[in-house]
Amino acid sequence: MLEQLINMFPEWARPFVMPLLTIVIVLQVNLGVCSYLILLERKLSAWMQDRIGPNRVGPWGLFQPVADMLKLLLKEDVIPGHVNKVLYVLAPGISVFTTMLAFAVVPFGPVPDHLSSTDGQFPFIIAPGIDLGLVFIFAVTSLAVYGIILGGWASNSKYSALGAMRASAQVVSYEIPLGMSVVGLALLTGSMSIEKILLKQADAGILGWNIWFQPLACVIFFAAAMAEAQRLPFDLSECEQELVGGWHTEYSAMKWGLFFLGEYTHVITISFLTSILFFGGWQFPLIAESSSNYLGSTLVKVLVLMTKSFGFIIVIQMLRWTIPRFRFDQLMGLAWKVLIPLATLNVVTVMIVKQFQLNVWWLLPMSAGLFLGAGLVGTQSTRPFARRKTEVAVEPHGHHAHAH
Amino acid sequence: MEWTEENMLLLIPLGLGWLAVWWLMPTNTKRPRILGGLAAVAALLMLQMMLLPPAGDLVRNGLFFLFAGTAVITAGLMITDRSPVYSALWFALVTLAVCGLFLLNSAPFLAASTIIVYAGAIIVTFMFVIMLAQQSGTSSSYDQQPFQPAVASLGAFLLLGALLFTLQEWGGIDGKNAPDEPKTGQFVALPAGIAANPLSQAPADNPREIGSLRVLGRSLFGDYLFAVELAGTVLLIATIGAIALAPRRSQGTL
Repeated sequence: MLEQLINMFPEWARPFVMPLLTIVIVLQVNLGVCSYLILLERKLSAWMQDRIGPNRVGPWGLFQPVADMLKLLLKEDVIPGHVNKVLYVLAPGISVFTTMLAFAVVPFGPVPDHLSSTDGQFPFIIAPGIDLGLVFIFAVTSLAVYGIILGGWASNSKYSALGAMRASAQVVSYEIPLGMSVVGLALLTGSMSIEKILLKQADAGILGWNIWFQPLACVIFFAAAMAEAQRLPFDLSECEQELVGGWHTEYSAMKWGLFFLGEYTHVITISFLTSILFFGGWQFPLIAESSSNYLGSTLVKVLVLMTKSFGFIIVIQMLRWTIPRFRFDQLMGLAWKVLIPLATLNVVTVMIVKQFQLNVWWLLPMSAGLFLGAGLVGTQSTRPFARRKTEVAVEPHGHHAHAH
Repeated sequence: MEWTEENMLLLIPLGLGWLAVWWLMPTNTKRPRILGGLAAVAALLMLQMMLLPPAGDLVRNGLFFLFAGTAVITAGLMITDRSPVYSALWFALVTLAVCGLFLLNSAPFLAASTIIVYAGAIIVTFMFVIMLAQQSGTSSSYDQQPFQPAVASLGAFLLLGALLFTLQEWGGIDGKNAPDEPKTGQFVALPAGIAANPLSQAPADNPREIGSLRVLGRSLFGDYLFAVELAGTVLLIATIGAIALAPRRSQGTL
């Protein structure tokens, strides 16, 4: 059917048909999903806080995203007089552009083996066959911080500038554990291509998922990616209690909306990446094996991947109300003192296993050992803090009971 | 004198470029910036004969011009812009455009890592420092004027001239019409010891793989292991030095 569609076009245009169709589908689905993720986030927040949440527009508040979108589009688009206009307008665009660009190398379904742009197979990825997919994603998402920095600087307000500075320090720091955490995967798979990492797990079945061999890397990746996306508990750059809205304080209407579109796209990308890199992608026992070829198996595989990603989106949104926001020194300490050394040690364990050709299952106890070791070191390192407490001169006639 | 006449094609655009950059540098006096722009365009047009890529396919040449043109123009803008923040942004664009050129020459890993390191980290740090030092709107004159515009740009153009002359020695205008086929995949001839190493050769069935991660890693950690380790050690020493130089918290940081 798709082949007939392609053949309707002139010869020179045929290679462009499938990529354009994929881009249009991804873009539209992404926009729709993002708006409903906001509703989901509000509903989940309400549920976790024992409230009802939006329930007035449509049954169970289901049309709330439509109302939100209309509001954002129809609101007066204020550009304050004190801003740098060019950069102020450019910043939301950069935010959306970079996060959407990152999705180009993320497969969202079973990518066919021998893909050509004219044979009518749906590619399930915008840019197939990129060998350095992971590096590409890190490169593009590291550019996403420009949207925040420029928005914060161009707004010419103290809250925005503070938020932007926090964001720049945070993103530069968390890029390192993010990149380091997948080096182990690349070593195990022998490739940096996301499609190849997925296929290897899919061929190996559920016991071949990378989560069994790289659980620590998964945790590090997830945490660092959340920090890159500026999601709670890492959202110090928007930190409503201190900075009003952080870098987007001076933004309104659809420009503000674009920032959030960027953030939600980032969340979707993270969820897809986590489920693809560590949880086998579209593979699921019995219903979606790499050998399953029944009618509609492609659809099932897509649905499996979507379900996994949806699960991670839920986790991300529930984390928001589970872990309180870090202090800035804790944030930096977590990246430099915990995640980066752990990620490095994790790479070392993979190297040991590869060098001495041990069974890959050795990686599971090794990762657990690293995790427990880090926990032990963590509890030990709080000791000086306890000691400092006792060293505080106790007033001989003070009322201790009131001090606590 | 004979030498000057022979190399007129390089010397005139270099001089014009120098004039253009010097003219475009921010100053207190009002200058018609269009003059500098025209001189820059003239210089680029004259150099174009030397810089044109050999006849290749249309898409490749179009992309080459897009990336190369963006790189040159944004580099000029970066030097001549009055605001440090815009300069940093133009720098980011230069980096992106150069990464595009890397991609065109099938070095995707180099392109991606340059984006991560330069555009994603170093320029972000620049922006961080600039934002700390200077809020938008407020302007201090010492940030907006070059100290030695004429001498500095002359020095830069001498360097550029040296590069262009070297390139001309390698082929330049005469070698331009050679077919656009990478002969061994390398721009410079490899040392004999390295050329003999089978690990640093692209596989015969897939010569395009020369820029891939696999071949790059083998080459870096096989042929150039000593240089890589040396660079790593220097960086480590620099990091330790930076930490040692930074004041302790008890001495009152920041």
